[in-house]
Amino acid sequence: MVTKEKLKEYAANLMFDMKEEEYDTLTKEFEIIEKQMDKIGTMSNLKNVEPMTFPFINYQATLRDDDEDIDGTCINKKDVLSNAKDVLYEQVKVPKVVE
Amino acid sequence: MQGKSIDELRSLLDEKKVASDELFEEATKLAKANQVPYNAFVTILDKKEEVDNKTILSGIPYALKDNISTKDILTTGSSNILKDYIPVYNATVYEKLKQAGAVLVGKNTLDELAMGGTGTTGHTGIVRNPWNADYLIGGSSAGSAAAVALGIVPFAIGSDTGDSVRKPAAFGGIVGFKPTYGRISRYGLFSFASSLDHVGIMARNVKDIAYVTDIVKGQDIKDMTSLPDDFKLYQETLTSSIQGKKLFYIKSLCDIENYQNPSPILKEVLTQFKQQLDGFKKLGFVIEGVDFDEDLLSALYPTYMTISCAEATSNNANLSGIGFGSRKAGKGVNDIMFQTRTEGFSELIKRRFILGSYILKRENQERLFLNALRIRRLIVDKMNELFETYDGLIMPASGGIAKKVGTVSEQVTDSEQALENHMVIGNFGGYPSITIPSGFVDDMPIGINLTGRVKADAEVLNMAYHLEESMTYKNQFVGGKHV
Repeated sequence: MVTKEKLKEYAANLMFDMKEEEYDTLTKEFEIIEKQMDKIGTMSNLKNVEPMTFPFINYQATLRDDDEDIDGTCINKKDVLSNAKDVLYEQVKVPKVVE
Repeated sequence: MQGKSIDELRSLLDEKKVASDELFEEATKLAKANQVPYNAFVTILDKKEEVDNKTILSGIPYALKDNISTKDILTTGSSNILKDYIPVYNATVYEKLKQAGAVLVGKNTLDELAMGGTGTTGHTGIVRNPWNADYLIGGSSAGSAAAVALGIVPFAIGSDTGDSVRKPAAFGGIVGFKPTYGRISRYGLFSFASSLDHVGIMARNVKDIAYVTDIVKGQDIKDMTSLPDDFKLYQETLTSSIQGKKLFYIKSLCDIENYQNPSPILKEVLTQFKQQLDGFKKLGFVIEGVDFDEDLLSALYPTYMTISCAEATSNNANLSGIGFGSRKAGKGVNDIMFQTRTEGFSELIKRRFILGSYILKRENQERLFLNALRIRRLIVDKMNELFETYDGLIMPASGGIAKKVGTVSEQVTDSEQALENHMVIGNFGGYPSITIPSGFVDDMPIGINLTGRVKADAEVLNMAYHLEESMTYKNQFVGGKHV
């Protein structure tokens, strides 16, 4: 069973924190999901089934070509930088920290 | 003009009995007048876009779910972390509608980042049901459903990862369609769970759904999962004969004797459903009940939660406040991200991300993530086997009506309500799936769902058109506040 401390570690890895009571709610959700998935795990022959990551194979799929020469497939640098809060020398600016 | 169909508005525009500017003005006034209590919009535009192309949709107002990227127009995902985000590029679906001359009225409220099914978790508050404001309309495309149900716009664009177009459509008494996976480009749709995400359409009749799908479908170089166009005009095949088309329903979910102590609402939903099946048979459909593995049915919800949370955790790692979005102050890059994500995400979203992260841990992948993907295959294999015999699955969209405000939460549930969750099958297999209004229970709308074979979008719309024509709920809407 997953502990509250472990959940806090996961939250920290995901770069956020939650309130104590929110971890309590989450602990209950984990119990439910674990129970449901354990039940699923008992289904026979599951190990022999190939995991399905997409609905169906699209044989005509093409890799996206992020080529600046193809009009409209890339967002230009000026537009991208316009979304950032701080910009310096055509780069996103963040505070300089020595740790 | 409130509540008029695309055909009606097209005639009025072509006969110059109304101008597009007037339609835009009326729609935005209606949207503003009905914000309280319904909260259908995050943004209502002040200025009409001007693209003068002649198509069936030129000059016709519509709305977009606020997780669809619109250049220079606020796009929040109904989340605090993007509350000030103004994209620098257009989603393909928006660009296609714009080029068709359709007129954007505003951006619709959703469950935060589309990760909910109640319409209660958006950063601007809950969305209420136009049929009775004491009720919710469901989600996540809650505002889109409310805008169409109020008659503000004839159609709206939503997104559907579990049933997020089709369920609120049912609870709003309108039509909701999720085409085959990849039929409509997802470029510019905020990713929730990429292997399940679809762009979908809401309208008040099946023909309007076909008109819009004909405009927005097709392969997109910017979305490698988009399908090559089938070069069919769905609007032209709606009236084709359905004689002998075979439909199935899942017996264990639709037979009332399988439920212990069923609620009066469930009894009424299933009674109406069975009566309607008798009517549909008279149209020429062959309809049969089939058995479906009970273990697979009870696995629908946990399988969906496992896959969607895992994919969502990864997809939303870009919401850090560094490159875009609402950045909070911090001592360095890590601290900025930590503060931004802590303040920007609601509790629900954080819980989903932690679940997803846990599911993807190396030590849990086999037991949780891979098993969920295996169950997904078993469900889809069973459906594909049934589709060798049948042309479609027909089911009640839900076992009930919309929930009352204040009676639902977005916490993971241990209930295995397959009748509430069966529409996720359409996302697991990428099947075209449509919900059409089929009546009322306790004065609230209910719907019927029809799901067909992969790439059989035209066939699904054709069958849905005939079902719709045999009932009396086509084009219904709620007046709301008038202007």
